[in-house]
Amino acid sequence: MASSSTKAAAAAAQSSLTTPPPEERPSSPPKNKDNSDFDILATYTHLLSTTPTLTMPLAAIASLIKLLTHSPPSTTSETLSLLSTHSAALKRALRNPIACTAGTDLFQRYIISTLQSPVSLQTRSTGDFTTTRDGLVASGEQFVARAQEARGVIATIGGKLVQDGSTVLTAGDSRVVSAVLDAAADKGVKFRVVYVRDSGTPSSSSDASGVGGDGMVARLRGKGVAVAVIGPSATAYSLGKVTMVMVGAEGVVENGGIVSRLGTYQLAMLAKSARKPVYVVAESHKFVRLYPLGQYDLPIQQTVLDFRDRTDDADEGNVPGGTGEEKRSGGGEGDEEAVDYTPPELITALVTETGVHIPSAVSEELIKIWY
Amino acid sequence: MVSILASDQDNPDGSKSNGQGKDSRSSEAQDHSKAPVAPNGNKAIPEKSAAQKNEKPSGAELKKRAKAEKAAKRAQSKQGQQAPPNDASKSTKPENKKLSDEKESIQSSPQHPPAKLQHRRSGSASASSQRPLQLRPGQQQAPAAEPESRKEPQKLAFISHLYGIPRRTSIAGAGKDVHPSIFALGLQMSNYIICGSNARCLSTLLVFKRVIEAYVTPPNNSLPRDLTIHLSAQIDYLKSCRPLSVSMGNAIRWLKLTISTIDPDTPEHQAKTKLCSAIDNFIRERITVAGQAIASSASSRIQDGDVIVTFAKSSIVERTLAEAYRQGKNFQVIVADSEPLFEGRNSAIALANLGLQVQYASINTLSHFVQDATKVFLGAHGMMSNGRLYSRIGTALVAMMARDLDIPVLVLCESIKFTDKVALDSIATNELAPSHELGFVGTGVGKAGEEDEWRSASNLVGLNLMYDLTPAQCIHMVITEYGSLPPSSVPVVQRLSTNT
Repeated sequence: MASSSTKAAAAAAQSSLTTPPPEERPSSPPKNKDNSDFDILATYTHLLSTTPTLTMPLAAIASLIKLLTHSPPSTTSETLSLLSTHSAALKRALRNPIACTAGTDLFQRYIISTLQSPVSLQTRSTGDFTTTRDGLVASGEQFVARAQEARGVIATIGGKLVQDGSTVLTAGDSRVVSAVLDAAADKGVKFRVVYVRDSGTPSSSSDASGVGGDGMVARLRGKGVAVAVIGPSATAYSLGKVTMVMVGAEGVVENGGIVSRLGTYQLAMLAKSARKPVYVVAESHKFVRLYPLGQYDLPIQQTVLDFRDRTDDADEGNVPGGTGEEKRSGGGEGDEEAVDYTPPELITALVTETGVHIPSAVSEELIKIWY
Repeated sequence: MVSILASDQDNPDGSKSNGQGKDSRSSEAQDHSKAPVAPNGNKAIPEKSAAQKNEKPSGAELKKRAKAEKAAKRAQSKQGQQAPPNDASKSTKPENKKLSDEKESIQSSPQHPPAKLQHRRSGSASASSQRPLQLRPGQQQAPAAEPESRKEPQKLAFISHLYGIPRRTSIAGAGKDVHPSIFALGLQMSNYIICGSNARCLSTLLVFKRVIEAYVTPPNNSLPRDLTIHLSAQIDYLKSCRPLSVSMGNAIRWLKLTISTIDPDTPEHQAKTKLCSAIDNFIRERITVAGQAIASSASSRIQDGDVIVTFAKSSIVERTLAEAYRQGKNFQVIVADSEPLFEGRNSAIALANLGLQVQYASINTLSHFVQDATKVFLGAHGMMSNGRLYSRIGTALVAMMARDLDIPVLVLCESIKFTDKVALDSIATNELAPSHELGFVGTGVGKAGEEDEWRSASNLVGLNLMYDLTPAQCIHMVITEYGSLPPSSVPVVQRLSTNT
């Protein structure tokens, strides 16, 4: 969840380019075909902004649980169709639905397997559906609660990777990475941190606010950890002094690669060529059934590569149709919100709450969930 | 029976005059091989000693000529003998002898020009001392004598474990339990009429259905026990025609398991119906529907403007490309192809007939056209448990070159082709086809005379391996009916598909 400071996620959701204009969205939710006046997107963004510890997949799951309580379905198939239509609506509304897809898919699989379990079949044959539904909601909430504890577990596991005298290079404001580093610092490990400042922040305002990483830097410094803040262009220069690279992820794809904040790919490439281990810390609910073949195979429209001349903005306004608007919104959030795909060859290991895995273990986990 | 025909035409002593059916011809070949055995033993020793004594080339030459004449005479006399129909009891016994002879020399496949050559070769089994004579100029004048000393140099040491028993190309000597449809299937397989992992698996299962239908449980025996043994005879016959494919192995394992789970008290006709419908289900689930699932998920990987490179022929790749074309995607296909089978031609023609934009190229031009490619789609013969792809020879070359250029390589493979075996190289496990096929099968340019030329050079060794192994790191994705996975997850799916 490198880029997913909650504000950014909310902004992403609101500035998405789907049909309803962004400013109207909170007040008039997009109506869904079936029954509800329930606005899944508003719930999702609200959850993300009010609960800063919540990850995007979990927010999606929590929204779906709220949906089930809000508009209680009365049959199994109704439940499933309700979930799938709202998941689809949520995914459509988001500019980058990868992380959210991980959550909605996981929850739907979870519901299906729960409904298919012998216990559930038994209760359904005897009692009415209300009991089953309540059970689903309860276990779903339990799932979210447990998933939120994952970060703490990862911090414990990942903390062991950070050893005395090591230097950890990290980038982005990943909450999991910062939890890992905090845990290591709390244990009294003597280590140093190199924080790669976001490329989106102009170098002039280096020490000023703007990037979420500042919080982490200040906190680590407060714990007595030496932190160096560098610009992205100084990464290769600094790698010689670094023991390991540790990054978060927005989504972990099927082959063990990660989808993460723009710049992670090049960081991993540099680390690979400098022969430094790259550890990805991510909760296992970020595993998503997606298999990109390369950078341009992600299910997102990104405007990172823009061959148009950006200097004359006057001409820009004259560009007919939606392109001008798209350009503007792309330019505004492109740097901040864009993601890239890091192939598994560049990743040494994935640190999840279930342990430290090699990238290829992801596919195994996903197969276990889906079959 | 392409090669048999070729050798018949070539045969100088006129055995081509036999215009009978396939079976009679092959049994005739059988007879040829059998007949010379007796005279051979007497001949061989004096010949050899004479050759050893004769240091001068002219002497050796004379000897050879004399030998050739004798051989011709013998062949003619045998031609006469042959006229009465062969009885089965006669032919079964010498078969063993023949096989053991052939084991010694790789190129002595049964379709070899009969009497004369056969005799010569077997006569010279131990005559390695004659070899220097071969290099002398007199050689050309007496080509018939050449094969004498050619046995040993024809084997390559590093693949000596692959030679085994040569492929069967006739039904002679088969067990009495083998069903006629298995004979047909075996011949079709050994002649590449049925070729490709899927096609072979499918046809085997369909033919097994017929075998099961025709099967009658012998008295004092039960179907679950005896049918497995009965099928084993059929399988052994198929194996002798061509080694089983990975998919066939998996299907057979499944079938035997299914048979063994039948209650022995089930009435026979009921058990047979049950088995046949189980086979139908198996085909539907593991091949037909699996293929559909793969085609639909793989075709979604094709985007407008893509240039897809594929190698040789894979039914599932063909299906995927056709499906993508049907969806209205605008893409181009390059079919790379190579010897020995040139299967890609069929594929290219079939796709072009559908309306796709197809380019057909030899693998020699690979480095040129692979640069334009955006994706590589490969079919599979088998997926090894260590994530390596075992497929038609040449596949590894395509995958490696694509990897080098950072072009995604996608393998399309039904889970029935997954095996729990691991392979580290393409030498330990492979299939060795008769080396003369290298220049002849499918090309249409091969003439019988060239075949002789190929065989006549003692220092020329043909290596006709059928498969190669693509390293796992050259494969980006394996698309199965269980979804897309990295090659490292092959054992997971393998476990999954065998458990369910």
